Amino acid sequence: MELTTALSRDLVLGLSQSLGEPEWLQNQRLAAWETFVKLPYPTTRTEEWKYTDISEVPFESLALERPTGRKGAIPEAVQARIAQADLAGYAVFVGSDLVHVELPEAYRAQGVIFTGLHEVLKERPELVRENLFKTVNWNDLVGPQARRPENSKIPALNAALFTHGVFLYVPKGVEFSKPIGVFKYLEGGHLSASRTLIVGDVNSQAVYIEEYISPTQVAPSVNTSATEIVLKQGAKVRHAHIQLLGQGFYHFHRQRALLERDAALNDLVVNMGASLSRAEVQSEMLGPGSASEMLGLYFTTGTQHVDHYTLQHHVADHAYSDVLYKGAAKDQSRTVYAGLIKVEQGAQKTDAYQTNRNLLLSEDARADSVPQLEIGANDVKCSHGSSTAPVAPEELFYLMSRGLPRHMAQQILVKGHMADVLTRIPIEPLRQYIESIIEEKVRV
Amino acid sequence: MANELEIRNLHARIVDGEAILKGVNLVVPKGQIHAVMGPNGAGKSTLGKVIAGDPGYEVTQGDILVDGESILELGPDERARKGLFLAFQYPVEVPGVSNANFLRLALQAKRGEEVSVQEFYAKLQKALETLEWDESILTRYLNDGFSGGEKKRNEIMHMMVLEPIYAILDETDSGLDIDALKLVAKGVNAMRGPNFGALLITHYQRILNYIVPDAVHVMIDGRIVTSGGPELAMKLEEQGYDWVKELALAN
Repeated sequence: MELTTALSRDLVLGLSQSLGEPEWLQNQRLAAWETFVKLPYPTTRTEEWKYTDISEVPFESLALERPTGRKGAIPEAVQARIAQADLAGYAVFVGSDLVHVELPEAYRAQGVIFTGLHEVLKERPELVRENLFKTVNWNDLVGPQARRPENSKIPALNAALFTHGVFLYVPKGVEFSKPIGVFKYLEGGHLSASRTLIVGDVNSQAVYIEEYISPTQVAPSVNTSATEIVLKQGAKVRHAHIQLLGQGFYHFHRQRALLERDAALNDLVVNMGASLSRAEVQSEMLGPGSASEMLGLYFTTGTQHVDHYTLQHHVADHAYSDVLYKGAAKDQSRTVYAGLIKVEQGAQKTDAYQTNRNLLLSEDARADSVPQLEIGANDVKCSHGSSTAPVAPEELFYLMSRGLPRHMAQQILVKGHMADVLTRIPIEPLRQYIESIIEEKVRV
Repeated sequence: MANELEIRNLHARIVDGEAILKGVNLVVPKGQIHAVMGPNGAGKSTLGKVIAGDPGYEVTQGDILVDGESILELGPDERARKGLFLAFQYPVEVPGVSNANFLRLALQAKRGEEVSVQEFYAKLQKALETLEWDESILTRYLNDGFSGGEKKRNEIMHMMVLEPIYAILDETDSGLDIDALKLVAKGVNAMRGPNFGALLITHYQRILNYIVPDAVHVMIDGRIVTSGGPELAMKLEEQGYDWVKELALAN
């Protein structure tokens, strides 16, 4: 395969310099670059990528989307979301530019930091240095993934070339229940790379929603995102990753959370957009009493392809994790779910659950599901299950016999299929928004 | 224009399968309630489903006419909008949508226009009163976790709110205790009037003590073999179906 690559070591260096980054960060970018160059791309022969072919993804032929200094103007689509979302504070990125950030004074007064990663790098470099690349980096593989280092290829690309990011720091004991929202509006046509770093200090509490939005149709585009969540003792974070990118996007997301003693993560992935997308969500239970709820919703139409990977890594004893991913596929679209519960030796009294259920709305739609367990302790409660089934004709007939046209009947069945995930989203405006996306997708 | 639901020489089979209906002829004039009785496997439930447009069956011969107009080519939703309603023997459980929200969507789809909350709740209230039912049934997910009796009662509530012209009640009486049966009957009787016709599919005569039919038809092996007044149901209760089966063979 001949590649005209738009990427180079000089690009990495130049980017780091233009962003005014300290030397340590520059060196880490270069280390990531070396790894990226060395590793092959995952192929369908790579176990974790068996059902997702990325050979056509233009990782290296697109121009990197770099900051241009835009300020102020918030795209209409984002304005509409902000108006509906009932947020405590929010940040808006257009491309790589942080065009707007807002956090009430009351939060700032308590020491909450919420702004662009590079802004924090100037004011509190030690906070960034201590946590950046701590959870997602170019050498972060756990369990069977580690046997196939190409799993680090895309995260290495992201680490070498990320152009922007968000930093949220919640100080010790500070709690807020209204969400902070981050909107990333991408116009397409580029390689985009961004990072998110969330640090919850001891006994803090926060809610964070991240949304990816673009025009509905774009030129071929690649977006890579990396989210790192560090939860200190007793810290609680509710986190959502909502991906609604347009046709033309290839989206690759890797997220990993580290949970110390009694820390809790409530995570939600909503993967509804893009031509092809893959979301990897990993939680590491490092302290006893930690708990990770990992929810996923996806719904594909047309020729969309979505892929999910979850990891519940139980290192400490007496921890809890629960994965519930539910999806529906229409037309010729395809969904993939693979997940691993890995319980280390000594992680006794682990409670870990994993469920994936798929609903097929057409004969040509397809869902693949691969749940896995690797248990190294003997006193644990673990279960996993998966199912894939077409819409039951008798259910459709029942709803239609009351007068509902087929698309509405299907809409109700899709919502019904996803109901047990939807009811676990306590943020009412977010749940309504997700329901409206489902409704819209059934109609078209 | 004919004011009736007419089943004309209806033959139907399971898609790519066995023939179930073998020439059903039946007319339910608007304003009347007819009962279709028969032993298990006679094709009674199939008749209800075929009239409502179940895609699991195909009509191979004959016709179904609503007020003189053939509905064979219409989908189940279009048939509902023409005024048909099927109370299911086994209503489907659908989590994620509340009973009331679903019913409002259905009413709006049927009418093809927005129905105001006030009007909708007035209809609901009336139905609940007749069925002596608590409002809590409205906010529960559609049939989700409902008992068998609650499901049947809910079908009748849907019928009362949607106000069909012709309703088919598929063994709505089966599995009901006497109190629940009386309530269901009360709901059907409340619908009675010049603009409502119904086909009551049942195995037992019991419900006909509470909903007195204008006519009773007996179905054996995919055909109506004899018809009569309410006294026919009494005779079946006393003597069973054997004599009708003999009658069917003789024909």
